[in-house]
Amino acid sequence: MLNDARIDRRGLLVAGAGLALAGCGVGDSGGGSKEQVEKKIKKKVDGDLVYFNWSEYLDPELIKDFEKKYGVKVRQSNFDSMSSMLAKLRSGNRYDVIFPDQSVTPRLVASDQLRKLDHDQLENYDQVFEFFHDPVYDPGSAHTVPYGMYATGVMWRADRIGDMTGSWDDLFREDAEGKIYVLDDFQEAIGMGNYKNGFDLNSFDQEELDKTQQTLVDQKPLLRGYSTDDVQNMLNGNAWIHHGWNGDVVNVRNQADDPSIYKFEKCREGIPVGADQIAIPANAEHPGTALLFIDFMLDPENAARNVAYFGYPMPNNGAVDAFAKLAKDDPAITVTTDDLERGDQFDPLTGDRRKAWDRVWTEVKAA
Amino acid sequence: MLLFAIPLGITLALSFGTTDDLGNALYGWHPENYEQAFDPLFFPVLMRSVGFALATVGLCLAIGYPVAYYIARFGGRYKHALIALVVLPFFVNYLVRTYAWVALLADEGLVNGVVTDTGIRDEGIRFLNTSWAVIGGLVYGYLAFMILPIYAALDRMDPALIEAGKDLYGTRWNTFRHVTMPATFQGVLAGAVLVFLPAVGDFVSAQLLGGPGTYMIGNLIQQQFLGAENWPFGAALTTVLMAFLAIWMVLYLRSAARAAREAPA
Repeated sequence: MLNDARIDRRGLLVAGAGLALAGCGVGDSGGGSKEQVEKKIKKKVDGDLVYFNWSEYLDPELIKDFEKKYGVKVRQSNFDSMSSMLAKLRSGNRYDVIFPDQSVTPRLVASDQLRKLDHDQLENYDQVFEFFHDPVYDPGSAHTVPYGMYATGVMWRADRIGDMTGSWDDLFREDAEGKIYVLDDFQEAIGMGNYKNGFDLNSFDQEELDKTQQTLVDQKPLLRGYSTDDVQNMLNGNAWIHHGWNGDVVNVRNQADDPSIYKFEKCREGIPVGADQIAIPANAEHPGTALLFIDFMLDPENAARNVAYFGYPMPNNGAVDAFAKLAKDDPAITVTTDDLERGDQFDPLTGDRRKAWDRVWTEVKAA
Repeated sequence: MLLFAIPLGITLALSFGTTDDLGNALYGWHPENYEQAFDPLFFPVLMRSVGFALATVGLCLAIGYPVAYYIARFGGRYKHALIALVVLPFFVNYLVRTYAWVALLADEGLVNGVVTDTGIRDEGIRFLNTSWAVIGGLVYGYLAFMILPIYAALDRMDPALIEAGKDLYGTRWNTFRHVTMPATFQGVLAGAVLVFLPAVGDFVSAQLLGGPGTYMIGNLIQQQFLGAENWPFGAALTTVLMAFLAIWMVLYLRSAARAAREAPA
């Protein structure tokens, strides 16, 4: 019976075939071709919408309305970081509409992974702020429309902890030991460490990265965990202090029994800002429905409703008042196009810089 | 056989690759991935995973054996229904079941709600994001794999053996030690292997129920694929882990083979 456990010649042949099949490009970016990208999308219903976004990042009522209006189903999946979104795309999954951010969009555009969008077909495109008609991350806004504008800061529960200092040191408070979360995103976490140590957000100087790595490792005993699910962690009481994004505090307040205890601050050492986009992947099966969805989200009334739901400013004329109302009660959540122009944004990382940051993050997690 | 060998082959090929500027995997000859996999930094992660898995096996045994014993020996007419009840929760996806634990055990979740409302404590107990939460999640996830083989072994056992044992050995404990335990030893071993091997590589429990200090080898591998965009390094770690687990599998197979040879005709 033990003979069966030995690898025989046939087994080796099969493994060899596996190696040969490896040439089928496992691990490839799933990039499209130039023709796929340029082909004009006809704006009409051509199937159900396969939707891929952060969780709790788009008003579910809007999704229901879209389904009713066009008689389609919206099949939703969620990712919890830009890295996992890219990983899913790389594995060959086919989505119709995705929500990348400016740290990732240039890469997707460069490797022909996003369909070209015909602005003439988008009735509501004139609602988008001028600033986003030719953004740095996607010249001519050819492949994307903007979605939300965000800033990273610190959320906290005023009923559990006070005396916040408006500094990244607040994520290192010993009196909140075991109740602090840091975002499970290597750029956000390492960027935060860089800011705390007085370095540039995107520094990749080896000495500075080593110091930041040590800072993050030293922080671990104080942490409850690494998570991008800041809304749920705040709501279920696991978190008193959470590294998080401006709009999420509004989302928490919308769902909480007592909204007044949830606060948000930006930190004086540095504020990462950015914008995310809506895009159609090159291998989308239903680009027509996707284009309808993008136009639907650009509709000023829908944008206003969305802002009320998720708390982020949207660069859409229809959403300005809705956001002003939210910001009146809490100016800390504001992000403007000026902030985007002058502020620090996460660089799209590639090559050696990516490897250096990856290594820091792997070692921080394993330490 | 093909469905098994092809992914294995791809993983092996990937483990010698590297990544290009955009993070795509490139095939080639880069054995340094294995050098990196044996970095002493990762050794505690593997040891922790083994430790958690062993604790899981121990707890599964402590809970699973009595359950299997009771159903097999005293289930009577309801034996099949009871075993079905044991297996039923496992029709629900492991990930979903673990998420349920997150909702139940959160600091202001359902269980802590009862604790604070009934005045047992002023503040909730911190269940989540601890090593014990991870082990609990692992036990809950793999308990059925322990109960079923033990149940099968007990069910196969001729009850007359136990009667004979009572005559020979007198006390119930002695009967158990000298008759039941040896007869069900192979079932226990099978259950232990079925729990240990996947538990070492598990990443779901640690991710949902664990904290920064409960990082397991499964999470490290997962991070290379979903976070770091370093598929070749992840593949190298996977191969190392598989080799490590294969050792235990071979030992188990030899033990099972020996038991089958020695079994009464």
